[in-house]
Amino acid sequence: MTGRPDQDGEQQLRLLDDAWEKASQHWLDGTARQFGDGHWASLLQESRGYLEALRKLMDTLDAAERDTEG
Amino acid sequence: MTGIHADIDALEELREALVRYRHAQREVAGRGADRIRAVRASLEAKALHGQTQLALCQAEFGACQDRAAQADPDDPVDCSGYARAAEQSEERLERIRRWQQRIDAEASEFAGRASRFLGLLDNDLPRVEQYLLALIASLEAARRVQAPAP
Repeated sequence: MTGRPDQDGEQQLRLLDDAWEKASQHWLDGTARQFGDGHWASLLQESRGYLEALRKLMDTLDAAERDTEG
Repeated sequence: MTGIHADIDALEELREALVRYRHAQREVAGRGADRIRAVRASLEAKALHGQTQLALCQAEFGACQDRAAQADPDDPVDCSGYARAAEQSEERLERIRRWQQRIDAEASEFAGRASRFLGLLDNDLPRVEQYLLALIASLEAARRVQAPAP
């Protein structure tokens, strides 16, 4: 990971989402539904909220550096 | 547990993906915090430099005004360049301070969200991983029971 941290974090979330998509093709029972609606939904929601906040802050930091150069 | 039609390999892959995600996002969070510290330090250094520059420009403008006050009316001293330089230095310093205030406010707001996310990575995700491990173990046990005797 060498890009902006928020972009790398988004990429990691996409990889995790892919893993869930793959697992959910095999794991189809009630436990899977409970897991998806509970643990997984909560994990995705919190991750997306954090990464969006991180992206905004990184944008602000980049803008601050640009605007105060020279 | 025998009613669970899950594929053990798929669940194991999911658990491993969660472990990788936890470590990777920990690193992301650390780099985010490093970036905030670096920009804050950079702005602080720029503000200090800006203060020095402003003091220098104001001193030069003051000295010019003194010369202008004592100058021959037929040969006036023009201090407008010094005045402009002092004004620009002041504007630049104000701009840096506004960014510092904005970043303090946004970083403070972000800290709550970051703290919750780190809590999820450090506390909730390991529990989810343990849950999947237990599920995999129970599926393996069920599979052994169902397997025909050799």
